[in-house]
Formats: sequence, C-alpha cells, structure tokens
Amino acid sequence: MNGALLRHTWRLQRTKLAIVSIALTVWGFLLPVIYARFGSQFSALMQSGMLPKQFARFGGGDVFSLAGSMALGFIHPIAIILTSVFAVGFSASAVAGERQRGTLEVALARPISRRVLYVSLLAASFGFIAISIAALLAGSVGGATFAGVVKELAFRNLPLLWLNSVLLFGAFAAIALAASVSFDRLTPALGLTLGIVIAMYVLEVVGSLWPAAEVLQPYSLFHYLKAKAILTGSAAPFDVVVLSSVILMAILWALVVFPRRDLAAPS
Amino acid sequence: MHAIETVGLTKYYGHRSGLVASVLERLRASTSPPIRALESLDIAVREGEIFGFLGPNGSGKSTTIRLLLGFLHPTAGRGRVLGLDTVRDSVTIRRRLGYLPSGIALYDTLTGEQLLDYLGELSGRPASRRAELCQRLELSSRTLKRLVRDYSRGMRQKVGIVQALQHDPELAILDEPTEGLDPLMQRAFYEILDTLKAEGRTIFFSSHVLSEVERVCDRVAIVREGRLVALEETVALLARRKRNILMRFTGAPPRLETVSGITNVEHGDGYVTCSVEGSVRPFLAAIADAAVVDLTIEPARLEEAFLEFYDAAETT
Repeated sequence: MNGALLRHTWRLQRTKLAIVSIALTVWGFLLPVIYARFGSQFSALMQSGMLPKQFARFGGGDVFSLAGSMALGFIHPIAIILTSVFAVGFSASAVAGERQRGTLEVALARPISRRVLYVSLLAASFGFIAISIAALLAGSVGGATFAGVVKELAFRNLPLLWLNSVLLFGAFAAIALAASVSFDRLTPALGLTLGIVIAMYVLEVVGSLWPAAEVLQPYSLFHYLKAKAILTGSAAPFDVVVLSSVILMAILWALVVFPRRDLAAPS
Repeated sequence: MHAIETVGLTKYYGHRSGLVASVLERLRASTSPPIRALESLDIAVREGEIFGFLGPNGSGKSTTIRLLLGFLHPTAGRGRVLGLDTVRDSVTIRRRLGYLPSGIALYDTLTGEQLLDYLGELSGRPASRRAELCQRLELSSRTLKRLVRDYSRGMRQKVGIVQALQHDPELAILDEPTEGLDPLMQRAFYEILDTLKAEGRTIFFSSHVLSEVERVCDRVAIVREGRLVALEETVALLARRKRNILMRFTGAPPRLETVSGITNVEHGDGYVTCSVEGSVRPFLAAIADAAVVDLTIEPARLEEAFLEFYDAAETT
C-alpha cells in the first residue's frame, strides 16, 4: 500500500464522502422515525389483507419493527444508490477513469507497482464504504433515539450489521475495481459493474416478492445481507463467508490480470 | 554501461501471451490480426548523452517509451534501462528516471504546488531541483497556487517538465517536451537540458520538431513503421546529407559535373545550382578559378535527412 496515493485519493474524495455520509445519516434517521410514527398503522393495513403479504418482506425489511425498519433502510434503493457512489462509481473509475484521462501513467511513472496501486485504491474504496455504512448506522441509531424506540435496539448486533454491510458493498467495490483494471475505458468497467449490481438487486427483489422466484435469491449478493436477522440476533455466518469469498476472488483476478496487462497510450 | 539498451525489442498488439492476462485482449483480438507496433528494435543510449528519437505518428516511438517504462510487455526481445531489466525491475527503474508523457494529463482539481508535492512524494526522492526548474521556466509561487484546471497549455507543459525533472533523475524520458511552449520557454528548456547534460544526466528525447532535435541531441534514431531506419551522430548525419548550392558568376561557367560529391547540376543565365554531399572541398577547388559573384550553400537540415530516410524507405 502506498501512503501518498492513499492520502491523495482521500483528499480528492473527501467532499463527496461528506455529502454521501450526511445523506445516508439522514436516510438512516428517517426509517426508525417512520416506524415509530406509522408502524402500527402499516401493520394494521397489512393485517387487513389490502396489501399482499409479500410487501412486508421486501428485501427482508419492514416497517413494523425497529429491526425491520433499519433493515429496510439498508436494502432500499436510496441507500444502495448512495453507497454505490463509492462501491461502484469510485471503484469502477479508479483505474479505468484515470487511464482514460491519462493521469494513470503520470502516477505509474513513479516507483509504484501496479499491485501496490491496486491495493491502495482497494483500501481507499473499503474505507469510503466503511464510513458510509457507519453513517447510515449512526443515522438509524439517532432516529431510533429521537423517536424514543432505541430500547428496542440490541447494540451488540450493530458491529456485525456494519461488517456484513461493508462486505456486501465491498464485494461490489472489489468487482468494480476488478473491472476497472481490466478495461482501458471507464464506460465498459462502469457498465459491467452496474449491470451486475442491478441484475442482483432485481433477483433479490423479485425473489422476495414472488415466492416462485425465491430460488433466484441465492444468486444475488444482496441475499447475503440479512439486516433484520442480524439485528434480531440470528445472523448467518455463511453470509459473511460468501461475501468474503466473492471479494477474495475479485481481488485475485485483479492482482493477476492488472500487472500482466498492456497499458497502451490513452486514446 | 548504457543508460538504455534494447535488443530485438518487439511489440505486437493483440499478440496472445499468457493465460489469464490476455483473456480480454483475446476477445478483442479474435477477429483481427496482431498489429506490429515495434519490430526488433536495437538501440543503445550512452550515459550522459541527449538521444533523439524520431518518427512520425504511429511509427513506434510511444510504444518504445512505454516498453522502457514497463507499461507494455515485449512480445520478443528485451530492454534494459540503467542496467536493469524493463520487465523484472520496472519499479526500480522508475525510481531512477523522470518521465514526461506527450500531451501530459494532470489532476485538474489540485493546485500546481499540490500536484508537484504529490508526484514528488510518489517519486520517493526529494524534489531538489524544483525551485531551480520553476525559476527557469518562470513558474512563480503565485502561479503554482492556482488550480491546474485554470492553466494554459504552455503552463501545463511547464508543470509537466518540472514534475519529470524535480527529483533530479539519472535518466529523463521526454516525449514531445516543448509542445505548447513559446520560443522563450523553449530556449529556457534547452538551457535546462544543457545543464543536465553537463551534470552527466541522460536524456531520451522524442520529438516531431526536428530543428530542436538537431539543436540539442548528440545522436538520433529514426524509426519508421516500427523499425529502426537510422541511428547516427547528429553531426555525422548532417555532414553526410546533400546541401543545395546556388552560385552566381560572370564569364565561363565552372565545370562541376565531374566533381566528386556534386550532383543535380543545372545551368542558368549567369548562375548554376547543384547539390553537394559530404565535404565541400572538391566543390571549392572546382570553382577556385570561376568569377563568383555570389555563393549560397544551404545548411544541412535534419528535416531533409529525416525525409530522405523516409523517401528511401518508401522506395524499397
């Protein structure tokens, strides 16, 4: 890992990181408040049979419990889009974007191996994701406190929720970086990663809303973040293993491919 | 030891080597044959010289530079920089050299100073020459406090030169270094090169501007379609090439057709034109008795030598 590169990356991303973190904190704050104010009404609505039961299982979250509302916050498109600013956007452009702009060769003309460059960018990406998820969690805790339902929260489960979420978005970041080191231009790297994220999200959502499609859910990485189960103390260690394996495979791909690639002059 | 040495250095784009590394390349290249970017290049750059590397767009100049920096992997042959292998010891090599890419791209959101600090830090060596370079290229501290995005083309090029040389590298690889510089700054840059050369630094210099190569380079290599077509001392190259002569006289014209090294003799009313190759002494001896009114011998230009090589290569 290269300290100068890491510091430079953080300096360039700090404003974006601040904006994303604030937005996630606000988002995380809202859901426990919604649960506290409208949870019982939503519950009554569901029990009346007016809405299909599957709506109560969207992404493993709901608004009838604090754990469910926090889980909904993690799997909701708003949280995914915000976290993907770094997990997908930053990671996919970290190498391919710099290469397209021509700035990569200025950095690589220095005594930095491609592997060190990659590891530094990976560390930066995981750092951004870790802070973003921490902001989301902090917002949720703040919202629960504000709404007076914080007693329902088991604080001891929060570190695992944070870790599992970091691993989920870290897996997307590792895939994005693997794509980034494999292409000369940003568009294919970003397109490929976005395609994977969207396809997996669709599999997870379709699987959660349509019982016949449940079989598709294991093919989605989103399936391996069960936020409500973690918050209620029934986490599955296998989820962490699956996400870690995906991260390791993506890292292995990048570490093998990137140093062996030709970096022709940017066009 | 040579500062740069290549033996049979060859690069084909789309060539399949290795299993995993070329998977994507294979997919892209599956429908097209490999592109021969560089074919068996043999050059040796001496320590302490300024070496010009010439060729038109697409001739293999940038490919050669990228092979030397380890950005590309050779298809065949090998390259050594400062005695180190360009593939195995790429990181060590880059610790000891400075590189200015053609049309350098810089981080627009940094100030000039932040950019030089960052790149200096990445180099891992103190920026011992920065103050001197900035002073010579008229980059004031006030200018360096501005964002790079606000710089003109020339300012960016000056910053590019400073970042390549600020850590006092043993070898500098400069690709089109005077692009965008005004004549005054070009002169300042040539003076910087003179200083570096006097201190024993080696400069590998790629340029389209043949007059500047002629001015600064000790030796030049000319590449065409990935092949080396000439490698010679600049002075020798110029001495060998034909120069055009225009002579005005009164009385009988001198007999030049049989003089050694004289060709293309054409007579007019009171004047004669011809070309001389090599030494001018036989020509001067031949016109010793002529009533010469005016004599013009055009200086030899690298540009003509360059074009001659290309014309010769076209016809073969």
